[in-house]
Amino acid sequence: MEERYQRHFQLKEVGKKGQQKLSKAKVLVVGAGGLGCPALQYLTAAGIGTLGIMDPDVVSLSNLQRQILYNEKDLGKNKAKCAEKYLKALNNEIHFQSFPFALTHENALNYLSQFDIIVDGTDNFYSRYLISDACLLLQKVMVYGAVFKYEGQVSVFHYQNGPSYRCLFPSPPELGEIPSCSEIGVLGIVPGIIGMYQALEVLKIVLELGEVFNGKLYCINLLNHQTQILDFKKNKEEISKIKKQDRVFPIANKDCSLDFEVSLAQLSSEEKIIWIDVREEGEMPRLSHLKPLTSALALDSIKDSEEKVIAFCQTGQRSKAFIQKLKKEGIKNCFSLKEGAEQLQIWEKKAKY
Amino acid sequence: MKIKVRYFGQLTEFTGKSEEIITQDFKTLEGLKLFLFDRYPKLKEVHFKMAQDNSIESESSELKGTLIDLLPPFSGG
Repeated sequence: MEERYQRHFQLKEVGKKGQQKLSKAKVLVVGAGGLGCPALQYLTAAGIGTLGIMDPDVVSLSNLQRQILYNEKDLGKNKAKCAEKYLKALNNEIHFQSFPFALTHENALNYLSQFDIIVDGTDNFYSRYLISDACLLLQKVMVYGAVFKYEGQVSVFHYQNGPSYRCLFPSPPELGEIPSCSEIGVLGIVPGIIGMYQALEVLKIVLELGEVFNGKLYCINLLNHQTQILDFKKNKEEISKIKKQDRVFPIANKDCSLDFEVSLAQLSSEEKIIWIDVREEGEMPRLSHLKPLTSALALDSIKDSEEKVIAFCQTGQRSKAFIQKLKKEGIKNCFSLKEGAEQLQIWEKKAKY
Repeated sequence: MKIKVRYFGQLTEFTGKSEEIITQDFKTLEGLKLFLFDRYPKLKEVHFKMAQDNSIESESSELKGTLIDLLPPFSGG
């Protein structure tokens, strides 16, 4: 401990006392992607005592352009688990807790209540409003960061009774109104810088250093280096609306498919699952031992089924469209597999042995 | 009155610029917003907040500042 944090001890504003504060802090990073990776790395290096990592997704090749905790050997593995492994090698003194599943309106209050500060490293409005509302109810500080192309936003919510995300943006945008990074692309370093800003705010909050972005929205344009700090006030009406609910609800216009997409990492091999293969006949691998239904026959067979229904294809795109159709037909408990048939085959083999 | 209007995020794509000077009087921020809706109809399709002299305010606020920012929420991460 002495040597590891030497540079902290040399700062009179931090010192050993500050390091103790860091070692007692409990921080949860929701989303271990473009924002979460750099935030996690610096929080680990700085010696945050308990660090939670939540992410349901598996590492894919297109993540490696910006999600710096992962390497090619991690492909197909859960991000929270991979991040924990990487970070443990960096600092084994930290108590890591990895949660390889999504934050939902059903589990948010439970998991968020175990931490002091929540870092929003997500990439969709469903999660952002969920984290904000849950943090408001639990009186937890939320450190917000978000990017659009070459621009970023950073703010801190519910700090010392300060404003909430809803005071800034009371209602979520319509589906598809604001494109995401996966639709329009992003220069990897942009979420990198914003994620580091989030880690910086966490450290300042724990160490009680300087000024945090409480009631302030920091906007940075990394193409022309223009920055703005905009003040915003608490909107009592919005705050009391959420407080009155006393629980969290999913936002009406979900911009992501959390409610009907499922990742292999979230599945247990013991679970009974009815599979639907929505691919054409010749597409490989076939996975016939899973006895999948074909999309043409699926609807009749699953109408009254109580078991979990999961559709898959080669990439998760066609299955998503198919499940959307099933949902419209009123079929519940049906999901689209995020991964493709190839990963499903690997998962299935691993589950068996 | 001369007002400098700055656009953020996707709004720069809808207006084709990141900032401009508008020389006209408006009573409220909403007045300016409606003027911009006329000029850039695509702005009507998205959520954004308005800030006046670096302070985010409701649209019914009196327009007395010289610097107005239009800020959409971001979701990327």
